[in-house]
Amino acid sequence: MSISEMNFFERMLYILDQYSGSFFRGAATTMVIALVCTFFGCVIGLLVGMLQAKEPDRKDNVVKRSLMHVVRFILTCYVEVFRGTPMMLQAAFIYYGASQVFHINLGMWSAALIIVSVNTGAYMAETVRGGILSVDPGQTEGARAIGMSYSSTMFHIVLPQAIRNIMPQIGNNLIINIKDTCVLSIIGTVELFFTFKSISGALYTYFEAATVTMAIYFVLTFTCSRILRYIETRMDGPANFDLATSDTLAFTSGLTKYNKNTGGSF
Amino acid sequence: MEKIIEVEHLVKTFGTNEVLKDISFDVEKGDVTSIIGASGSGKSTLLRCLNMLEEATSGKILYHGKNILNGEVNEDKLRTKVGMVFQSFNLFNNMNVLENCMIGQVNVLKRNKAEAKEKAMHYLSSVGMAQYVNAKPRQLSGGQKQRVAIARALAMDPEVLLFDEPTSALDPEMVGEVLDVMKELASTGMTMLVVTHEMAFARDVSNNVIYMYDGRIEEEGSPEKIFNNPGKERTQDFLSRFINK
Ligand SMILES: Nc1ncnc2c1ncn2[C@@H]1O[C@H](COP(=O)(O)OP(=O)(O)OP(=O)(O)O)[C@@H](O)[C@H]1O
Ligand SMILES: [Mg+2]
Repeated sequence: MSISEMNFFERMLYILDQYSGSFFRGAATTMVIALVCTFFGCVIGLLVGMLQAKEPDRKDNVVKRSLMHVVRFILTCYVEVFRGTPMMLQAAFIYYGASQVFHINLGMWSAALIIVSVNTGAYMAETVRGGILSVDPGQTEGARAIGMSYSSTMFHIVLPQAIRNIMPQIGNNLIINIKDTCVLSIIGTVELFFTFKSISGALYTYFEAATVTMAIYFVLTFTCSRILRYIETRMDGPANFDLATSDTLAFTSGLTKYNKNTGGSF
Repeated sequence: MEKIIEVEHLVKTFGTNEVLKDISFDVEKGDVTSIIGASGSGKSTLLRCLNMLEEATSGKILYHGKNILNGEVNEDKLRTKVGMVFQSFNLFNNMNVLENCMIGQVNVLKRNKAEAKEKAMHYLSSVGMAQYVNAKPRQLSGGQKQRVAIARALAMDPEVLLFDEPTSALDPEMVGEVLDVMKELASTGMTMLVVTHEMAFARDVSNNVIYMYDGRIEEEGSPEKIFNNPGKERTQDFLSRFINK
């Protein structure tokens, strides 16, 4: 039976059967790029966001202050430019610019990873800055009042809370990255969307190929969003806490369950 | 008695707004000083200058004779010695009760975990919160949070504790449990400065009362004098508002 004689479902099954390997490699490439770049994007975003959220210290000397101004200006430019232009053009700009101006051939993989990470970083920087500002200033005061330094306060108190607050946005970014790696087809990255284009081009079955590819994208994004939800609830810890028994110093020995609503049992 | 803190001609301005105007007073070891006064009179600002959460504009704050305002004293070191309890508790939301009382000891005082835990448990027991080591701040009532905050401050082995309206954010039925802890603390000889609207506490527990009015110390003296025989009309006016309530 030739493909023109098949119905919609037969064509989809045919595509899945014939191209399962291509789909798998495409989906794997997409996921690797999305996961790695979301991770590095978060790292970049944390560093940039922290620098941007830092209030100038009154004890800093003039040199350090002006240096901070310059650094902050550059970071603001970075954030605004990468948020304000399409990633597809950024990909073309960096990939072809590197080879034409600097005679560097980035290679498809490193180009893809750099572009998506740097782009995600720009978005995450703003998110992190907002996340840091959303943490109650009383948390910082509480820490400073027991003698904790700025960096200890940041590391132990503010960032853990900021990261928890921005977890939904991190998840959002991951999902956007899974979908948006498709723009990398402009530099020839063989990810899921590229796979779709090749298959539909070869078979002229755009509708069926699109349906199958969409379903794969959806499975990927939905799985990720569920996993992230799970991580979020894990971060929140249990809703109830264990009430230590009256022997306070031996409180590891026996615990009774304390339920906030019903009270504890002794 | 040994003087721990001497404040001399302290001035604090925010922009052009002079909030503290020429404040001078001493704190001796074991003193329980209550600071009373109307809202906006500068009580919190004064307290926050003492542990350098606010930078004083001029004047001197001597801590054991050393001026903390000229850069000789490390501010983080000072804060381990001059602890603070806030109106809004400021417990670390990402940590449980035990971790709240350990982080400063481990991170700042470099105590080992076992030692820090023992100390934390000791003070949590003394404020009646030892059973709640595993609870997160959001799972506690206001009074419980404040008692943990007191234990957290005590775990640093401070020499002075500053309290900024420690019971003002509490439901009335929880005020007592926190005041009881503070009374007990006072009886152990802890040096305390307490900004409060609890006149009974100021009268019965403290040995020195400072009445602030518009950024100045309007009157200072023993609770007997301030409450029974105030020398200034403004002090009388202020106190009469509480008695009539
Ligand atoms: N960070 C700040 N910037 C500008 N002005 C401030 C700041 N903090 C306090 N002030 C001003 O200083 C004055 C004294 O404030 P402070 O908080 O010390 O009063 P308070 O006596 O503690 O009042 P309350 O009983 O309401 O707590 C107020 O007029 C307030 O507006
Ligand atoms: Mg105040």
